[in-house]
Amino acid sequence: MYDLIIIGGGVAAFSAALYAGRFRLKTLVVAENLGGTLILTDDISNYPGFKKTTGMELFDRIKDHAKDYEIEILERRAEKAEKQADCFEVFTKDKTLKTKTIIFATGTKLRRLNVPGEKEFAGRGVHYCALCDGVLYKDKIIGVAGGSDSAAKEALLLAEYGRKVYIIYRREKMRAEPVNAERIEQNKKIEIINNTNITEIKGDTFVNGVILDKSYKGSKELKLDALFVEVGHIPTSDLARSIGVKTNEKSEIVINRDSETNVRGVFACGDVVDSKFKQAITGAAEGVVAAHSAYQYLANQTAACDDDVDREDVAS
Amino acid sequence: MAKTIVYSTQTCPWCHRAKDFLRKHNIEFEDKDVAGDATARNELVRKSGQMGVPVLDIDGTIIVGFDQQAIEKALNL
Repeated sequence: MYDLIIIGGGVAAFSAALYAGRFRLKTLVVAENLGGTLILTDDISNYPGFKKTTGMELFDRIKDHAKDYEIEILERRAEKAEKQADCFEVFTKDKTLKTKTIIFATGTKLRRLNVPGEKEFAGRGVHYCALCDGVLYKDKIIGVAGGSDSAAKEALLLAEYGRKVYIIYRREKMRAEPVNAERIEQNKKIEIINNTNITEIKGDTFVNGVILDKSYKGSKELKLDALFVEVGHIPTSDLARSIGVKTNEKSEIVINRDSETNVRGVFACGDVVDSKFKQAITGAAEGVVAAHSAYQYLANQTAACDDDVDREDVAS
Repeated sequence: MAKTIVYSTQTCPWCHRAKDFLRKHNIEFEDKDVAGDATARNELVRKSGQMGVPVLDIDGTIIVGFDQQAIEKALNL
């Protein structure tokens, strides 16, 4: 029986694990892959105390810090969860894990563009990670779909490889952090095509262009060697919802300032929750608060959530 | 021992994860950086039908992406 199971393996999860370890909670982190979306980011310049680092380095530091305490890590996907009176069960493919509390730090998965050609050309010109695959398109013409700060950062990284980068965005103005917006403006390789949607991705073996819903320089067809899709993320909240955790219209888990969900003993933090501004630092902070709330909940809990009782029953 | 090839780039985080995983299990592997090596890149495309990395070739079993459970299965870990 664990005091706390943290589901998820990013910075929010390991910040929670760090504090849970310090609170001496018997803690297990269950995650299919360690690192989360942060490690796909090359340039982290906004985490206080770190002027410039990479997502991978920041994550590894937080994870290593958490591992200084007695926490357990299971690199498996949490397939199912069940609520039983005041306890919970979390199931992986081959294990059933019992716990008194859960923190969901399940993050997000990438949103697809959902246009013809996207699936067909996945990995053959359609990509979702500039840091992973950008270097394959040296001196090529590269498109970025999206208008968020993440899209801006992807474009800036891709401009280091490609000879031209187009940002194709459906709205008027990108939502990049001002510091990144300035860098884009100053970068001669990057051009923004705004108020425009991509309706189709074309190619033969590999991508050779996209179709736009509006003419750009007299043509609806734009020649590209690759398209990097960065159109946002979908919260991974199905598992939480399956045990009655409330989510909002965006499928984000609703939490209060103590990182509590509507279900007693269940907490959440990081990109999966309904915070407006999602950053490594805010996710880490929510994780710390979630661990503290779990600690307090356990300290005040009087209901019996102990598998010893069950074991005695079985024995007699 | 199975012959393992990893197609990767130096920047790709999941490539690092995949290689760390193999090292942790003392699996010898050949690392082919597809960024600067056109032959390796063609090989990658021929074997996996795509350009994304990492790709693992474990005795002919092709695994696209860092899929830990698929790797464990292919190597009988």
